[in-house]
Amino acid sequence: MKGTVLRLSLAASAIGAALLALAVAPATDATAQDAKAAKAAAKAAQPKAAQPKTFPPLGPLPPVPVPADNPMSPEKVELGKMLFWDTRLSGDKSTPCVVCHEPGMGWGDAAEISRGYPGTRHWRNSQTILNSAYYNKLFWEGNVTSLEAQAPAAAEGAVAGNGDTAMMEMRLRFVPDYVERFRKVFGTDWPRITHAWQAIAAFQRTIVSDARQVPFDRYMMGDKEALNDSQLRGMALYNGKAGCLQCHNGPLGSDQRFHALGVPPNEQFNSDPLLQITHRWQQYQKGVTEDTYRNALIDMGQYYNTKNPKDIGKFRTPSVRELKYTAPYMHNGVFYTLDEVVDFYNKGGGNAPNKSPLIRPLGLSDQERKDLVGFLEALSSDKPLLMDAPKLPPYAVMK
Amino acid sequence: MIQTAQKTLLRALAAAGLIAGAAALLAPQGDSHAQSGKAPDLAPLPEAKFDKRRAELGRYLFFDARLSGDAAISCATCHKPENGWADGQPLSKAYPGSEYFRNAPTVVNAVFRDRFMWDGRLDGTDLGTLVRDKVTEGHFMQSDGRIIQQRLKQVPEYVAMWTEIFGKGSDPYGPAMFGIVGDFVRTLTSRNAPIDRFLKGDQGAIGAEAKEGHVLYKGKAGCIACHNGPLASDGRFHRTGVPENPEVWNDPLRAITMLRHYSTQGMPNYMNARTDVGLYAITKDDRHRGMFLTPSLRELKYTAPYMHNGVFATLAEVVDFYDKGGGKGSVLKGLGLTAAEKKALVAFLETMSGEPVKVDVPKSPPYKPRNLGKN
Repeated sequence: MKGTVLRLSLAASAIGAALLALAVAPATDATAQDAKAAKAAAKAAQPKAAQPKTFPPLGPLPPVPVPADNPMSPEKVELGKMLFWDTRLSGDKSTPCVVCHEPGMGWGDAAEISRGYPGTRHWRNSQTILNSAYYNKLFWEGNVTSLEAQAPAAAEGAVAGNGDTAMMEMRLRFVPDYVERFRKVFGTDWPRITHAWQAIAAFQRTIVSDARQVPFDRYMMGDKEALNDSQLRGMALYNGKAGCLQCHNGPLGSDQRFHALGVPPNEQFNSDPLLQITHRWQQYQKGVTEDTYRNALIDMGQYYNTKNPKDIGKFRTPSVRELKYTAPYMHNGVFYTLDEVVDFYNKGGGNAPNKSPLIRPLGLSDQERKDLVGFLEALSSDKPLLMDAPKLPPYAVMK
Repeated sequence: MIQTAQKTLLRALAAAGLIAGAAALLAPQGDSHAQSGKAPDLAPLPEAKFDKRRAELGRYLFFDARLSGDAAISCATCHKPENGWADGQPLSKAYPGSEYFRNAPTVVNAVFRDRFMWDGRLDGTDLGTLVRDKVTEGHFMQSDGRIIQQRLKQVPEYVAMWTEIFGKGSDPYGPAMFGIVGDFVRTLTSRNAPIDRFLKGDQGAIGAEAKEGHVLYKGKAGCIACHNGPLASDGRFHRTGVPENPEVWNDPLRAITMLRHYSTQGMPNYMNARTDVGLYAITKDDRHRGMFLTPSLRELKYTAPYMHNGVFATLAEVVDFYDKGGGKGSVLKGLGLTAAEKKALVAFLETMSGEPVKVDVPKSPPYKPRNLGKN
């Protein structure tokens, strides 16, 4: 492990050297050899050097991207809202989407590890669906690339909704109100489950931060009073000394890439049988080698997608928006406050074999940490985005 | 070459969603014995062989709700010892959130059956495969088998029993795990049924009225045509016109599992089905509409109500039904039995039930934490 960290820091200095060399070009004869060596080093470090030098800035969110094959309509969104709440879209009618994505809990479930399906526990933190419309990959592991694909993965996952596809579809067909709505929205005689996921995706595309509600966005749109001095200092730290922008960039505050930070393990995995069951099941069903399955100690994140050891412990960068409502934080919910999160980064993160070279001690003072947390809070809406549960239509005997 | 072609055909059949044994199902069905009058006779049940250690672990698993998706129901939820290992209801429960559209049959004597489910969609070559079907099926236990094996690993008592059977270093894993439940089911057979003693020559095993009933069974009442052999079942499919149970369609939860079953079987035009089509859903052969598998008549004393949809509450009702030649679309003819004959027939049917099959119902041992990383 020590060796790995050493290699990484060497690679980082090589990048530095290469950049320096490029900056002083054209090289004089005397430095030609050095420049050549630096160039070679830069080439060797190419994959790690893929980080751009400048980062897209934070800013108000653009209009929600809508896929061409699932256009928005008010009727579709309304249907999607009903389905989001409807218990019939889970195995035993216990766990519709809303159970782990409750409006009153920041559209997450406020637990370290998501509760999961009855008889099981999930193994990761339930993420907010707020602004999920802007991700190009979803789940902590980034293993699906659209909301339309995320919904069934959750509703059918054995530790999430555990729904049977054909059963859920047939349930919808015995609800006359749904039959009518699906016909209007999708033009089919009978509700189809894939359309249900499309409707839910459309609904989720409406669960986004309102820029007028977010102090940072108001500031960026010209209201210079929207951020106080501390928050402005926090913003400068975010973009500079604290290095947050390296990964939490763009309007969403996420580069949508994978990084290992060395987030400490959640101790509950050592004592909770249900978590241990899910932990082993995940290794098993994600298709790791037997040896890896037998010895797995941690959630290996992106590794399950690529089976590349260099991806062990990497997770997709989450958005920094709406954090005020979505504690606890990190993929395993180990941090309850933003102070803890900032402390973690200030210390240079934790231990991980593939830890990102971007994560290093920051040397922030107490005041700076306070300023940074203040700024992070300014990325959340003034008030939580709440929503009343829709009235759900009943089953009826089919004619 | 020919072999390869056959394999390709088999693969194509499998891809088309046809179950193993479909070819057998498609063979001429039905009433050959009734027509020829040469049905095999009733016979005593053979002895079931089972491995005690495997059956013992299977007993625990049969009663353990952690085999279902939400850990709410076990095999014993629908196969209750106190209800003759059926559930005592006209129509079976299903996974929570659903209701089933057919009657839960007993699992007693399952070891001797070679075809399962009222529409015969599963064969009996391997009881473990049947168990797997029930455990993972959306309308029964809706489980991910890979989670169950991890659940069992979290119970030290189960790991110890497993190691006893399979050796050190062996983990609970799907097929073996389901087979173990099947090994327990192998132990559930009729116990000391009067008919078995009678068929082995003990004339005093059944009373005079039952003996009259036996003569009717094999003669005037014609039961033997289909209810023959050791199980009193020919393992074939027949249309007797059992009336629909209105509860199936009038309860959307049951109608849902029925149409969903048709859809998963790839039945044409399944959204317009309103009745239980039986074997047709499996073969999609119009001649098989309304045909159901002949059930065993053993253990009837404990397994009311009767028929694939539980419409008859008593054996007397069942006998009346056959006396009239069955219902709409039936291939049977009326029997013209007198009241005394009907009574005698019921008396004989009751001799096919043994002593109640009882087992010690185990308490499921709890999960214990393990050492993470020693998976």
